[in-house]
Amino acid sequence: MNIAEYYHNTFGVSQQQLDTLIATALAKGGDYADLYFEYTTVFNLLLKDGVVSSGGFHTDCGVGIRVLKGERTGYAYSENLAMGEMLKAAQAASMIAQTDGAPRSYNSSPTSKGDYYRMDTSWRDVSADAFLPFLQDLEKAIFAKDSRVVKVIARLSNSVADIMMYNSLGEITYDTRPLGSVSVTAVFQQNGKTENKNAARSFRTGAELIGPALAQEIADEITTGIDQRFEAVRPKGGQMSVVMGAGASGILLHEAMGHAFEADFNRKGQSIFADKMGTQVCPKGVNVVDDATITGNRGACNYDDEGVSGQKTYMVQDGVLTSFLHDRISAAWYGVESTGNGRRESFRYNPIPRMRATYMESGDADPQDIIASVKEGIYVDEFSNGQVKIGEGDFTFFVKSGYLIENGRLTSPVKDINIIGNGPAALADIQAVGNDLKINNGTWTCGKEQSVAVSCGMPTVLISNLTVGGE
Amino acid sequence: MITQNEINIARHCISYALEHGADAVRVSVNDSTIDSCTLLNGVMDKVTHAADRSIYLYIFADKRYGTFSTNRLEVSDLEKFIVQSITMVKMLEEDACRTLPAPERTAKDAITGNELGLYDPRYEESDSDSRLARAKSMSMFAEASGEGYEVISEECEYSESCDDNFTADSQGFEGRHTETCFSVFAEMTIQDKEGSKYSGFWWESSFDKDGVDLKGCPKKALERAARQIGPKKRRSGRYKMVVDTTVATKLIAPLLTALNAGSIQQKMSFLDGTLGTKVFPEGMTLMDMARTPKKNGSRMFDTEGVATKDAPIIENGVVKQYFVNTYMAAKMGIEPTVEDISRPCLMPFVKDKALLSDEKALSLKDILEISGNGILVTGFNGGNSNPVTGDFSFGIEGFAFSKGKITHPVREMLITGNLLELWNNLTAVGSDARASVRWQIGTLAFENVSFSA
Repeated sequence: MNIAEYYHNTFGVSQQQLDTLIATALAKGGDYADLYFEYTTVFNLLLKDGVVSSGGFHTDCGVGIRVLKGERTGYAYSENLAMGEMLKAAQAASMIAQTDGAPRSYNSSPTSKGDYYRMDTSWRDVSADAFLPFLQDLEKAIFAKDSRVVKVIARLSNSVADIMMYNSLGEITYDTRPLGSVSVTAVFQQNGKTENKNAARSFRTGAELIGPALAQEIADEITTGIDQRFEAVRPKGGQMSVVMGAGASGILLHEAMGHAFEADFNRKGQSIFADKMGTQVCPKGVNVVDDATITGNRGACNYDDEGVSGQKTYMVQDGVLTSFLHDRISAAWYGVESTGNGRRESFRYNPIPRMRATYMESGDADPQDIIASVKEGIYVDEFSNGQVKIGEGDFTFFVKSGYLIENGRLTSPVKDINIIGNGPAALADIQAVGNDLKINNGTWTCGKEQSVAVSCGMPTVLISNLTVGGE
Repeated sequence: MITQNEINIARHCISYALEHGADAVRVSVNDSTIDSCTLLNGVMDKVTHAADRSIYLYIFADKRYGTFSTNRLEVSDLEKFIVQSITMVKMLEEDACRTLPAPERTAKDAITGNELGLYDPRYEESDSDSRLARAKSMSMFAEASGEGYEVISEECEYSESCDDNFTADSQGFEGRHTETCFSVFAEMTIQDKEGSKYSGFWWESSFDKDGVDLKGCPKKALERAARQIGPKKRRSGRYKMVVDTTVATKLIAPLLTALNAGSIQQKMSFLDGTLGTKVFPEGMTLMDMARTPKKNGSRMFDTEGVATKDAPIIENGVVKQYFVNTYMAAKMGIEPTVEDISRPCLMPFVKDKALLSDEKALSLKDILEISGNGILVTGFNGGNSNPVTGDFSFGIEGFAFSKGKITHPVREMLITGNLLELWNNLTAVGSDARASVRWQIGTLAFENVSFSA
């Protein structure tokens, strides 16, 4: 069976039926229509109190049908792939074309397929019992490394999604997307005090991800820095210099910059960066990328969810804003090519501009020199969540751990503080960029209207002025 | 809506699973439809139609347990799916605590799905034209203006949905819950003369088609955007804090998470060991009003099928109930309650009772007057709390107030502290919770809160 046959058989549709659905979707005068077929299997296991006593699998199948008229969207989906049900969805989506408004021409986009996932062994080919020893060994490794551990919760989840996309430009694309994740929470007790820590890894790979090396890596990470966590204090709050540690600090880019550069917010004039294209938004030398092409990365995409090739997109080059993140709608509106950022949670959602792996490229500063340059401030390296207000540009991220910086040295550990800043001001306040870019491979999930898997990264970066929560 | 055929399929799943190696089974069928119309600047931008149907299987076999779901409801597909599911369950490890709830605990009175009156039959009369007309009637973009700013964009969304759930188990429980929802949402973005942008949003939802204010929604959103113009930073320090009812949930949700037996058993709760003890201030009472008819959030049974009831969770500062499902009850050796809260209601309260009005009504205005000077929080911007310690740090936006009157907007500020300490500094709870929301938490007032700027 060739590739096309596999996907057509999976969804039980012929090329002729695809054309009929597109014709139905466009029957009321739409400018463009596309079909998004999805069959996803999700599998999970949970270890708690020493036993893997909970697990399951879930299957989801359907087709999303979208019609565009100008920039307006008609969207419907069917979970039933019988032709009659799909035609009903196509007719429902076609209704958008009845509204007034100028037509727009939607042109072909790059549709060459990348190869950014590794899947030697499909998750679908491995049964649950094969994974039990991994979770049991992971728990043992964590208990073995720190006698203060009192509880471990470990989750293993994976999904495989078969995707077939077809549009009114005649472009057809096929993709099978694996995603495997392991996440752990450990609880520690010492002298009557309790602390917890999380660690996770997530990759677009196959079942070969699961093995002793991964268990040891997670066990090492989750038991590191616990002494400091028990000692940690709340800093004195206020404005100060913040050194963002390499890796997970990429959450700063995601919140302060990435969302504001998503072109739907800019098309609507809502983003604080809407009129900043081509202007200097960061100091010279700073490059910020949103990248679908890191092999095995959680944010990697061979295609986006509109069938456009996965790409590496420079949002900022040498400090200048050079590109927003586009789906087909915003690309047509701006008269540029899509950057392959049209993504969606599932066939139940229409695609919108979303990030993939967002990071800042390395600069030339030594990370130790960056810390040494700060007289009074804070160093942060572990985070849980963030948020942004698109119009105002105010962003926040929650710091799980870090240190005070006093006279160029890391001193008292700190934890559980929120940091707040304003996007354009924070970017302009970047004082130094380290030479140590690190991509963080945690289970980052972005929740803009829909949940999609993303990742982020950052070298060590000094920002001169952010507001830190404290006593 | 769930059909009789789908109910029959659910029953068949139970008997088929029992015949193929399951010891006990719970099945839940969900049917959901949602139609929405979104306008951008008064012009139709998006129309969506969604119809979901799924079946969840909770399978207990050989003291093992697993959960499974699919949206393929054809009987032949389901039968294969059930056999695969049971095979996987038997690969997991034993845990004797995994059982269905005792039959006497499950609801017996959720037969029609509309016992609580949360289904508005007018939902069935709607069509795409009527929804579009309602969406169009919301927009005020053409006439939206104000002194000192221009309106950059207006998004209005009108949606109608119906959720129908049928749950049954192999011990004879059957229950149904049906609910309609009519929702409006508006977001306005404005720009002041200096070029600064501000956005404001507003939303309402109700099971009742007449329960949402179509025209009022974007007006409220614009009002909330415009009032933010000209923010100033306030110096770091300790201030009185009033939290608007629209965002008060942010501060009470972590308490409910901490009262969940799952958190307590895993030593992930700062309220571990507090059952029956007074850890909150005298006068603070939080109820679960699960069975109030015609109120969003009311339900007859939880996800296990256990009958809900109206009950105090915190009464005069004393923790009265943890949320304990069947599994956690067996594991912890305590009595089960319900899996989680249905409809949280924080009762109106004033620390200084002399300030309570005769009508016992407490509005935002009353609470600002009671509080005198401080910061009114109207939005949270990120942040989190540590489930183990209760330490929190949240970004906030809002307004400074003096002598009970709002003076100017503030933003880019943070509040930091410990949730137990914060709630013990509670000075008032308003009676102004919005009728249309599940969480009935009025305006809150606290003293001695640490703000950073």
